[in-house]
Order: sequence, then structure tokens, then C-alpha cells
Amino acid sequence: MTDVSQDRAIVPPSRGPAVEVVNVSRWYGNVVAVNDVSFSLDPGITGLLGPNGAGKSTILHIAAGLLRPSKGTVRIGGRPVWGNQAIYWDVGLVPDKETIYPFLTGYQFVLLSAKLYGLDDPAEAAHRAIQAVDMEGAQDRRVGGYSKGMKQRVKVAAAIVHEPRILLLDEPFNGTDPAHRLQLMDFLRRMAGEGRTIVFSSHILDEVERLAENVLVIVAGRLAASGDFHAIRRLMTDRPHTFTIRSSHDRRLAIALVADQSVLSVDLSDERLTVRTSQFSDFVRAAPRIARNEGITLQELVPTDESLESVFSYLVRR
Amino acid sequence: MNSTVFALTLRQFAGQRRSLVMFVLALAPIALAIVYRLGDHLDQPDWTVNVLLNGIVVTTVLPLACLILGTSAIGSEIEEGTAIFILTKPVPRRDTIGAKFAASTLVAALFVLPATAVSGLIALWGAPGEGIVTGFTIAALFGVLAYTAVFILLSVATSRALLFGLGYVFIWEGLVTELFSGTRYLSVRQYCLGIADLFATVSERDFDANLGGPEALILASAVTAATLVLAVRRFEAFEITDTD
Repeated sequence: MTDVSQDRAIVPPSRGPAVEVVNVSRWYGNVVAVNDVSFSLDPGITGLLGPNGAGKSTILHIAAGLLRPSKGTVRIGGRPVWGNQAIYWDVGLVPDKETIYPFLTGYQFVLLSAKLYGLDDPAEAAHRAIQAVDMEGAQDRRVGGYSKGMKQRVKVAAAIVHEPRILLLDEPFNGTDPAHRLQLMDFLRRMAGEGRTIVFSSHILDEVERLAENVLVIVAGRLAASGDFHAIRRLMTDRPHTFTIRSSHDRRLAIALVADQSVLSVDLSDERLTVRTSQFSDFVRAAPRIARNEGITLQELVPTDESLESVFSYLVRR
Repeated sequence: MNSTVFALTLRQFAGQRRSLVMFVLALAPIALAIVYRLGDHLDQPDWTVNVLLNGIVVTTVLPLACLILGTSAIGSEIEEGTAIFILTKPVPRRDTIGAKFAASTLVAALFVLPATAVSGLIALWGAPGEGIVTGFTIAALFGVLAYTAVFILLSVATSRALLFGLGYVFIWEGLVTELFSGTRYLSVRQYCLGIADLFATVSERDFDANLGGPEALILASAVTAATLVLAVRRFEAFEITDTD
């Protein structure tokens, strides 16, 4: 029988950025799932943001060594990931899928993880990890009977039981209730505060905004934007927006609006006034003021196509 | 071999409905032997060898038991998504395959070997056995090792391991190797019969093995080792492709 703990001693100390993805592509036949993506990550929280099917999970799976890149390389702590089981000393993965054994209790599941990591005191490590995700109350119940949120938390406990330097989480807030979502966010912030590298994927802008300092926006397998969240948020907000307007006198209002700095174009057709602007906030403030000055009653001011997908598509086109 | 994966796999087997099928498979030859004994049991060695041990145990019970356990040891983990849990641990993949193989062969042997020995003894009770039961029990052990290795390889090579395994058992082992004697070198069933022949000294009329005993022993061992090496290689390159 192999004693896993013996292998730990021969793992060389890691060097370089915590996570380094260099020109990585992945395709399945003719379908390109990830297209020439490069980034490097240091300690802190990074959000992998993108619509469903964008390739976020594929990127996380490649980073976790579960998928071989068709092109490019991924290194963790300077070591190549693919085919290198030793990286899992440094990495914890929380997959989106239900990777749990329903016949085990929560404690047994986390203990199993601790034993597979070959920890010196797996029982103590399991208790500590369960405590960290606030699951002591349910630790003796079978995982198969857990709610989705509880399963998510016990998966996190299993992934952090060896206190990894890097934690990869695929849609970690799926199914969690608001209280536990906040708790999990606090927990991840604490882990990041200890100098760990946290990467999580999400298709929900709000989650990323609340948690991530650094953002990678993935659209259709490509890295559409990366960097500081607030800069990207501004980019998203300041993109051309389209509004439809109904008023007591659309034609007069169109003439007045086109003179405003915030307006790019106006279109008056089919009894409907459509305005394009590149300055979302300025226009939202200016439109009612201009209408009032002209003595026009503004009945409706509706932004069109505000879906996250359209925001992401805009970022890709830039 | 990793002891934690070994223990986990045993627990997985215990919790599966497939273990019920295993009980049925193990009890079938024993029940058949009892029914045979209740009737006019003429020519016991011939019936025991050709109908019970060759026809039922080696051709059906043995490969099906190994198919169920060998394909579910890793296949069910891949199917249910828990493979990610194992794959993202610093456990060498050869150790995972080793543990899965050890657990599967242990459980298969626990069901198949007693079923072979007990059913054979019941059927031959009072008649000269001439090593038949010993021979087929040893052959079943080698069969368990070879078949389990083959089915573990199948489960890491394809997501339809059970389907391909059934085809292999019933078409290749049950039909093709019976019709074409040249295929005996590629048949675990023929290896089993050859090994049983080493220990069972019955007349050729009762028992006709296409392979010599030593030849069968070497081939069974080589196939077990080669398929395990291939399974390890395949598992080392295994990818989780079910992502968005």
C-alpha cells in the first residue's frame, strides 16, 4: 500500500506565478472550446466571469490538470500541470458537479479527502475543514441527504482540508442560500488574506463584483477582458447603450436629445424613439432634464438588450 | 496500490444494487447443482465439467461477475462524476488502478470461487472427482484476475464499457472462440479451461481444453499484466471532458 505522505517530501518548492496559463487552446474535433487564452495569477481572489457555455469550466479543468490543453501550457508554481499529480499538494478543486459519495457522512467525506492527501492527522484536518465551512451540525448525516448548498460547502471542506495555496472553484455559489453565500464569501476572503490564490467561476456579475479584486471575462472561449474589476465594470457601463423612449412629443424630444453630448444617435421610426449613447449615467440624468426643459412629458425610458451576454459580446468585439 | 481507494471501492460495492446481482450469480450454479442431484444424476464428471463448471461457471458466471465489478469500479465513478474527486488528489494513477483492481478481484473471487467449489462438490458428491473441483477453482481465480483487468481497461477506455463487455462475453468468448479454435490464444475462457486441465485428470471425452496447461497459465498471467499496464497508461492520460 502506498503511503502518500512520503511523496510530499520530494515535491520541489514551487516558483513563479501561482497560476500561469500561456496561449492555451482546447478543441474537441472542429469545436473550439478555449481559444488562445493567456493569463497569470498571484495571491488574491480572481473571478472567472462569463455566460454559461463560455468555456469557464474548461479553463478551470485545464488549470486543474483534468484536461490536456490542445495547445499551450499551464503551470502552477512554475510546474507543468498536465500529468503531474504532485500539483495537488498545492491545489484544491471545488467542481460544479456533485463529486460526492452519497453513502458517506459529511465528516467521512472530508476525512476521505484528508487521507487521500496523506495528511499526518487526517481526523484533525477534517474537523478543522468542516468547522471552516460551518458544517459541524450536519457532519454525521449522509451526504446524499444534503441540500445543494450543504453539498457545496462539504465539497469546499474536502478541497481545503490540506490547506492548499491555490483554490479553484467552479460556480461555488450555485444553490447556496444568501446567508451561506455571504459566509462562503467571507471565508474565501479570509483565505485570500492568508496569501492564497483563489479562482472562482461565475456567470453572475454581482457575485464577481462582491468578491473578486481581479476579473477574467471569458466569452466564447476567448479572454475578452482581464484586470481590475472596477475598470472592467466601467468599460461595461460606458459601452454604447440603446434606449427606447415614449414621450408626449417624440419628434421634438429627438431634436433636443441629439444636441446633448451624451447622445451618439437618435432614430425615430415606427412611432418609437430610439437613442444610442456611450455614456450610460450621463444620459440617464440628462434625458429627464432635457424633456422637462422642452415641456415634454417623458412616459418611458427603457434600456434595451442589457443581458450579460450582450455586455460580454461587446467586450469581445472591442 | 492506495489503501484508502481500496477501502472506498469495497464500500462502493457494498452499497450498490449490483451486489444483489452478484449474489444471484453466485447462487445460480449452486442451485443448479442441487437440482441436478435431486434428479437422476448419471455420468456426474461429464455433467459437472461440461454443463456446470464449463458451461455455467466459466462461460457465464465468472465473466459476468468480473464485468459487473470491473466496469463499476472506475466506470461508475466516471459516470457519476466522483472520478474528479479521486483524480485531483496526489495519488499516482497507477495506485488508483491498482486499488480498484485489487478490490474488484477480491470481491469477484469471494463470490465466484466458493460458487465454483461448492457447486462442483455438490454435483460430484460420491463420484470420483479427480481434481475437477480444484482445477476449476484455481482456473476461476486466474479467470477473475484476467477478466477483471480486461474490464477495468474497458471502463477507462470507453464510456460504454458494460455494453462492449457484454458483447465480448457473449459474442467473442461464448460464440467466436467456440467456433474458431485459432482464437483460443485470445480467450480468457480458453485459458481457464487450460488451467483447469492442469489439475483435473479426466478423460478427453469429459473435458476438452484447447490450450495446454502451462501455455494457458502464461497467457492468462500475460494478459492480466498487459491489460493492467494499458489501463494505467489510459488512466494517466484520462481527461474529464464533460465541461461547458
